[in-house]
Amino acid sequence: MRVVAMIMAGGEGTRLSVLSEKRAKPSVPFAGKYRIIDFTLSNCVNSGIFDVGVLTQYRPHSLNDHIGIGKPWDLDRNRGGVRLLQPYQGRSDQSWYRGTADAIYQNLNFIQERRADLVLILSGDHIYKMDYNSIIDTHRRHRADLTVGVMEVPLEETHRFGIMTTDEQDRVIEFTEKPKDRDKGNLASMGIYVFNTDVLIRRLSEGSQERPRIDFGKHVIPAMVAEDRVFAHRFSGYWVDVGTIQSYWETSMQLLDPQLDFDLFDPSWRIRTRSEERPSAKIGPQARVSRAIICNGCTIRGTVERSVLSPGVYVSPGAIVRDSVVMNDTWIGPGAVLDRMIVDKQVVIGAGAHLGVGDDLTVPNKAEPDKLNTGISVIGKSAHIPPGAIIGRNVVINADRDAEDFPSREIPSGETL
Amino acid sequence: MLRTLTLILAGGDSPALSVLTAERTEAAVPFAGKFRIIDFPLSNCVNSGIYNVAVLTQYKPRSLHAHLGVGRPWDLDRAQGGLRVLHPSPTPDGGGWQRGTADAVRYNLDLIEDQQVDAILVLAGDHIYKMNYIPLLELHAERNADMTLAVHSVSPHDTHRFGIVTVGSDGRVDRFEEKPRRPLSNLASMGIYVFRKQFLIDILAGTEHDFGRHLLPRIIPNSRTFAFNFQGYWADVGTVQAYYEANLALLVETPALDLYDPEWVIHTTSADLPGVEVGEHARVENCLLSDGCRVYGTVTHSVLSPGVYVSPGAVIRDSIVLGDAWIGPEAVVDRCIIDEGVRIGGGAVVGEGDIATPNLAAPERLNTGLTLVGARAQLPEGLTVGRNVAIRPRTAEHAFPKSGVVPSGATV
Repeated sequence: MRVVAMIMAGGEGTRLSVLSEKRAKPSVPFAGKYRIIDFTLSNCVNSGIFDVGVLTQYRPHSLNDHIGIGKPWDLDRNRGGVRLLQPYQGRSDQSWYRGTADAIYQNLNFIQERRADLVLILSGDHIYKMDYNSIIDTHRRHRADLTVGVMEVPLEETHRFGIMTTDEQDRVIEFTEKPKDRDKGNLASMGIYVFNTDVLIRRLSEGSQERPRIDFGKHVIPAMVAEDRVFAHRFSGYWVDVGTIQSYWETSMQLLDPQLDFDLFDPSWRIRTRSEERPSAKIGPQARVSRAIICNGCTIRGTVERSVLSPGVYVSPGAIVRDSVVMNDTWIGPGAVLDRMIVDKQVVIGAGAHLGVGDDLTVPNKAEPDKLNTGISVIGKSAHIPPGAIIGRNVVINADRDAEDFPSREIPSGETL
Repeated sequence: MLRTLTLILAGGDSPALSVLTAERTEAAVPFAGKFRIIDFPLSNCVNSGIYNVAVLTQYKPRSLHAHLGVGRPWDLDRAQGGLRVLHPSPTPDGGGWQRGTADAVRYNLDLIEDQQVDAILVLAGDHIYKMNYIPLLELHAERNADMTLAVHSVSPHDTHRFGIVTVGSDGRVDRFEEKPRRPLSNLASMGIYVFRKQFLIDILAGTEHDFGRHLLPRIIPNSRTFAFNFQGYWADVGTVQAYYEANLALLVETPALDLYDPEWVIHTTSADLPGVEVGEHARVENCLLSDGCRVYGTVTHSVLSPGVYVSPGAVIRDSIVLGDAWIGPEAVVDRCIIDEGVRIGGGAVVGEGDIATPNLAAPERLNTGLTLVGARAQLPEGLTVGRNVAIRPRTAEHAFPKSGVVPSGATV
């Protein structure tokens, strides 16, 4: 049984605000040293799947750098291994990927070359640990044409997901994208699909103006539910879509909870990543650290509480980092205070700057009121925050902003710079 | 530039490191949390642009071999050159072991002869330093030398531990004395030698076993040998005390050895472990913590390797704890070196009492109050261990005294 995994990693992830402005969402750092796609990639190799295509489109450079030839995942292989699949130009046609199914359709020749029996389609932007052999077993047991990974969600949240309605054999009888009513059951699609290769090719090739085959959720799966053997595979572990600033921050904070049912330290299911070579984290004599994740290359000489720090972060004496996520190589000056912040890579925070100031967490961001409204402020990559600056809640500072870009010392809550 | 083959001598048994080298050669001993000693010469090679490296092993090489693998972390997994691990193989009469540094190189002369190189760079696998070998090789080429030694000034109190050279005004070495009682200078040979290829082949025609002890004192007066003065940080961590001090010296604000320099990265093989998790009630001060550590107790003035688990209420003070050790609840570890995979039961106190009693079995090696626990030893709950104690690797719980007390100076 030959399986090829196709990881969808081209999405723009607009709801992640400045974090995904310069990189695709799967490439956003997470849990300190990882990137979001590491979880899916590690699941593949830990499941024994070493034939992997990664479909990229939006801002792929960071992701391309990260995956490289796949060394950290042992995907640098003579047979199989990882292949980055970008949209390409042909003699007679050229096109960006118009949707998930279209992206696969444009790379059918890759799937055919690998002579796979099954195609496992995955999303590159979910955090979970899953042995894909279990869904493949379900698929074979049911002699299915398509098996969809599903999990139970609270009924009041079903409107956010694609909901599968099943019969008692777990055969899918109806698929409803984001249902308004609550009568469709509570099995949400996780964006994990196992297809028989021949069925996949047939279904994707039959697209036409009237019967488009652009998107799995909108077109392909509803059509197949009516005509093919489509089954659901239930998954019950930890699974999150960190697609919004709010869920990204909350999920990061959850990692600090020792009770969380998601063990990154599990030696039998290692999450692998590409890491730069850095020395051990150095904790200074006056440092105070509690409930935190600190990575190699960090130097902590101030206070860090309830925060996740990626490799190479420097926290100067007297600085306080609280309820925040700080990414690689950010420098936090003496006496600076960070509260409920997400700070991207290589940011410089001047001495005495106060980030995340204000008792009212609910003043929404004016430009993105639906994305930033719970008090989390975000600083884009390589921004320089001048010394003594005061930054409120729900503020967005875009990437590469410099001291000159600051209209005044104070950026009140809800502003975007 | 000279075409160069580097030989790293990593076969020594280094008995002065006590239980740390009971199951591994010194080059494979962890250092500064996540590194191993050999990472320093290996990284120096690749950072200097030398990608043709052989590592000579002999004593307990398994840990070193596992660490080196195919040389990936150093980009030494190459089609041309790259990393070669050279291990002795037996002769029909049961011999074949190497009897010293020169003997080890002689053993591999066939390989050296086959190499299309101008110079052989011989390095010790057990020193901590960051050095660009290019200026050394350039000096060697400029002076048309037979041999060039890197030298470093040492304290007059330490000259008896090193090979001491005297250098003329033209930089030429005119004398080499191994571990002299009355030294004529304080320039110590660093065990870093560049040889002209044919010169090396010629001088190894004899039977002398060791470069420092036998060969160099004899050949230097009759050859063009030059000294290269190295000014940077250089530490021979071949004793327990030196090893301990060199590790803890990294905790000062600006250590002499800068591991954070992006221009000279030290590469190592690391397991993929998540970031350090520091618990809500943990206290960490003045320490190095490596990825994969989980700290729920107190760690002060200590160096922790990857994967160490510090239970709630446990205290680690002035200590070095190597990979994957598990420290039980309320246990206390004070002035200790805890090797890999050790398990210290809850409530145990390791490193307590008077420091005046040296280790009875090895008083010359263990006499400064440090207690050493060998790899994978299992210390029972509530055990009390004194100072200057050595606990051998893989000591099982039942091997400890029924009284629950290991007095200072004991060996278990």
